[in-house]
Amino acid sequence: MKILLVDDELELVSALAERLSFRGFEADWVISGAEAMDKILEKDYVLAILDVKMPRMSGLELRKRLEHLRPGLKYIFLSGHGSEDDYRVGAAKADSYLVKPVKIEDLVEQINMALGN
Amino acid sequence: MGSSDTVQGRDGLCFFGKVSATISHDVKNVLAIINEEGGLLQDLSLMAGQGMELDPERLVKLAEKIQNQVKRGDTIIKNMNKFAHSVDVAECEVDFYEMTSLMIALFTRMASAKCVTVILKEGERVTGKCDPFSAEMLIARCLEVSMDSAGKNHEISVEVFTKNSERVISVHGLRLEVAENDLDAIKALSNNAGASVSVAPQESLLEIIF
Repeated sequence: MKILLVDDELELVSALAERLSFRGFEADWVISGAEAMDKILEKDYVLAILDVKMPRMSGLELRKRLEHLRPGLKYIFLSGHGSEDDYRVGAAKADSYLVKPVKIEDLVEQINMALGN
Repeated sequence: MGSSDTVQGRDGLCFFGKVSATISHDVKNVLAIINEEGGLLQDLSLMAGQGMELDPERLVKLAEKIQNQVKRGDTIIKNMNKFAHSVDVAECEVDFYEMTSLMIALFTRMASAKCVTVILKEGERVTGKCDPFSAEMLIARCLEVSMDSAGKNHEISVEVFTKNSERVISVHGLRLEVAENDLDAIKALSNNAGASVSVAPQESLLEIIF
């Protein structure tokens, strides 16, 4: 079960990927939408975990693009904002939506739900 | 309060809200990183407790990363505090260099979202009297307009200096025409801040004069 994490905060995304790997997930990470679009073609990713607010390409925009490149990919959105608007859009466009800081147990639960485990 | 005061008050509140939202996002990111780094420390400790070999250097680096994020958070909150206190008095002596530096720091996320690099040239204290909050609103709006005019993947450079006893904040790097409604907004803000603004995209220049 390969997971791709995308967030412009390098320290966050690299630590999160490592913590997920300790919990049995094969998680790769990148720090921009452009990198994600290249990376998604390298492996059979089944789930993308995207930061909603990223410079250059937002998580929502990235999701649209990834849908074309990898149909059927599942999505979890992470957001630092937690505003009502964010939640409405994010929750509607993803299998799950979590507000940072995220409890790893909650994220693992949402990953398992998204993957139907 | 008259209707124009109400609009001005509402605009000020919107500006305060916009800056507060940006700061809250930045603080959330810092907390999220500390959360993950701390969680990673916990994971590694638990694994070491179960017999996994743990390189002490790894722990040192993780601790340093957490300390750096605490410093980053502290800077964000100091800026937030400075900004919050700018509404304390209607007029006081300010350092326009420091004020411009603060506005650039608070609008880093916006610059990043617009893919524009903002450079503040080194300078000295440039002091003068003004309404700090109105001046900040004006500087912030001018920065935003300049970023939009510069466009994606371009750079604007900001300089603060004194010329003929006037305090000048100049922004270089404008490329596209500035929309009429933006010019109107800048004019209203400059009147409110007791300043004047000249915009000359053909010269790639915007100047705020106090």
